[in-house]
Amino acid sequence: MLPEMLLELRPNLDYAAVVVLFCIGLYAVIVKNNLIKKLLGLNIMETAVFAFIVTSGMVEGGAPPVLGPGVMPPLASPLPHALILTGIVVALATTALALALIIRIYLQHGTIEADQLRELD
Amino acid sequence: MAAALTVSWSALAAWPHWLIVLILLPLGGAVLTPALYALQRRLVPWWALLVAGLTALTVLPLLWRLAHEGPFSYLPGGWARPYGVELRFDEFAALLAAAVALLAPPVLLFSRRYAARAVPAGRLPFYYTLLLLNLGGLLGLAITADLFNLFVFLEVVSLSAYALVAVGGRPVAELAAFKYLLMGAISSLLILLAVGILFALTGSLNMADVAQRLPALATPAALTLAAAALLVGFMLKAALFPLHNWLPEAHASAPGAVSAVLSGLVVKAGIIGLVRTYQLFAGVELLDTANLGAILVWLGAASVVMGSFFAVFQHDLKLMLAYSTITNIGYIVMGWALASPQAMLGASLHLFNHALIKTTLFLAAGALIYRTGLRTLEELRGIGRTMPLNCAALALGALAIVGVPPTAGFVGKWFIALGALQAGRPFFALVVVFGALLAAVYYVRIINAFYFREPEQKAVVTAREVPWSMLAPVLLLALLCLGIGLLARLPVEFLEPAVARLLDGRS
Amino acid sequence: MKKPLVIALLILLALALLAAMAELPAVGQADAPVHTHVSARYIEQGEAETGAHNLVTAVLLNYRGMDTFGEVLVLFTALCAGFAVLLAAARNGNKHYRQPPAPQESGAVPVIAVSPVVSFVVRLLAPFIALFAAYVILKGHLSPGGGFQGGMILGALFIALTLVLGKQYSARLLPVAWRPWLYALAPAAFLVVGMIGLQLTGYFLGYPQEPAWHGVREAMMVTLEIAIGVGGAVLVASLFLALESD
Repeated sequence: MLPEMLLELRPNLDYAAVVVLFCIGLYAVIVKNNLIKKLLGLNIMETAVFAFIVTSGMVEGGAPPVLGPGVMPPLASPLPHALILTGIVVALATTALALALIIRIYLQHGTIEADQLRELD
Repeated sequence: MAAALTVSWSALAAWPHWLIVLILLPLGGAVLTPALYALQRRLVPWWALLVAGLTALTVLPLLWRLAHEGPFSYLPGGWARPYGVELRFDEFAALLAAAVALLAPPVLLFSRRYAARAVPAGRLPFYYTLLLLNLGGLLGLAITADLFNLFVFLEVVSLSAYALVAVGGRPVAELAAFKYLLMGAISSLLILLAVGILFALTGSLNMADVAQRLPALATPAALTLAAAALLVGFMLKAALFPLHNWLPEAHASAPGAVSAVLSGLVVKAGIIGLVRTYQLFAGVELLDTANLGAILVWLGAASVVMGSFFAVFQHDLKLMLAYSTITNIGYIVMGWALASPQAMLGASLHLFNHALIKTTLFLAAGALIYRTGLRTLEELRGIGRTMPLNCAALALGALAIVGVPPTAGFVGKWFIALGALQAGRPFFALVVVFGALLAAVYYVRIINAFYFREPEQKAVVTAREVPWSMLAPVLLLALLCLGIGLLARLPVEFLEPAVARLLDGRS
Repeated sequence: MKKPLVIALLILLALALLAAMAELPAVGQADAPVHTHVSARYIEQGEAETGAHNLVTAVLLNYRGMDTFGEVLVLFTALCAGFAVLLAAARNGNKHYRQPPAPQESGAVPVIAVSPVVSFVVRLLAPFIALFAAYVILKGHLSPGGGFQGGMILGALFIALTLVLGKQYSARLLPVAWRPWLYALAPAAFLVVGMIGLQLTGYFLGYPQEPAWHGVREAMMVTLEIAIGVGGAVLVASLFLALESD
């Protein structure tokens, strides 16, 4: 079953990279003890999803969707790029708030290790 | 005279831009709040209240038009669907919008005195800004008919909610906020991943357009993944068992007015998301929706039971209320997933009624903490003697959460239980009854502590009623908890066609 | 003990994800729905309908302007959220507030000494970086670039200057009295441009399409680009200042 699936996956190998990236990020979020490392894991997951959506807008041999002299079709789809630009802003916002919270947690408890914080409770 | 009034009403409701005004008011109001604070800081609470009040008024013509015309759309930029972003006001959007409209003004009125003490002074303008952003985001999320736009508004809601948990500056709250943020961000990513898959499959982001194109696809695994990612993502947002871990601490450690908004309204964003997911996939035959429904029914039932059990054993009043939110989310999801007309009707009603009841309870609890600084039932013994009106409101809200007729909590649960019987699954009707029994246990614990024990703490003996600007919204909401159960016919008639349409797979 | 379990679960998740991904249209396939449905219209008519050569800009500001409105709101939310979490909690008799643990070494805040070389280079490059940021913001209309990207450059410049020249200088660069208005700038610009669109076309965030109005349409889009840029820069700069304040 697995080899068949891999064969089917061949035209979509780019997506396989996305899956690996997503799982690495999730691993860090679950296993890592340091809150900043958890946050980095989250950022890796975000990157994976963004890469997935941008990849879906690609065309074989296509040009970027910026019109001008000498730009010939096929063009990559502009929609995923626009979506991910917004997605990046959302990721930035989440990261900024998370870092702010981490700073406060460190100031209040003197540590940002998840297990030590649990003991403090 | 009456005829003239009707004509002018329909003329007013026919103005096409109410739908966009509905979200621009709170969001625009929020944007100007920090600047207003710099000019005239005393005005900020009144400004927020004014914005919330105007937003609430905006909902009226929308409801009128919905009742007379059925669901209608607004196209920002004028681009026909699926090329632009479509906003659509249907019955489920109306439910959440009505809840926001009804609850926002009391919460903001309550906040004026409450936040002055619970929130550090330098953070006050941002407290109001974030509350308005949160409410505006909820309205946007309710009315958008576009998958990616849903994600964007969901982020406005989530980000403001994380920060609002921590705004009081209690160390517990900051930890809870971080946990909430991590869970919330993962759920948002799952939702975005699903949006990406659906986009790759259909090339469209408009919900109705996607729903139309999905049945033609022959990709079972991709469809299942998209549906699963959406379900898990929204279940996390709604804190359905077993993904509820983040909720109790976050809701219990936030300032009282914030808890009210989070428990009453923000978790409902997840429910609205589940409804939208259902609308997307209802027509897809490749996907075994019955199986997905069965899983959701059991998870809902587990939420009811586990939430009630945890609530019964809490000592902290606000933690008790937070666990009870998990129970009630369980009722709503169970009702939806039973997929019989009456159960769905009950779930929709309970979505609104729970928002009302839980807001009442959290505001009343916040008022107790405001006066005494105490949080556990043991410490609050005898408070019923020194703060009688506030405790009466809390008791009334607790009665409603148990589901005693004719309070607001009764109608929804009644319809869910009827719906379980209608679906031929009486076990789930028993779950409803069981949940109500457990709720009665913690109701008795609260009443016993407040009214039948001697006060021990000095803070309880010397407590006075909270100022009128805090007491009035609590009392008003408590009366509504009592009264709205008697008016249940109106929303039932309003929602029945929507539920029928949903079951037919037409959105 | 916990790790192997997590890894096993993640492998299962990865397999499920791979199975789903295998069914998606092949990467780069020109007749995939992504390219034939909504995007096709953007590519064929985007330039005529919006006046932007950069179709990403066309989608961002015109077709899906509501998303970008949401985007600037997310930025504004992040800014307020940062303040709501970071600003001093000590005042107002908050009994829950604990003093932050004192730093180990003597001297309250470790002072980072900036070498004269770094200071000189940053000051030398500052106008050029600012110019580049403005270029990226304005050029985004026609070619790759855009408000947000340019805004980030501007924000980074602000941070570099604050580090080199000290906080007194940052107050001159970003006057305190202006700040709340600057926070509001990007979403407020969307509100104003959206309302102008409402007047001109009858739709919120609509853009007039008649040839006579092309100048106005251009001006509306450039306004939004600049507002997004300044909004992004203010976000980065203000959060940096808020972090430093405590």
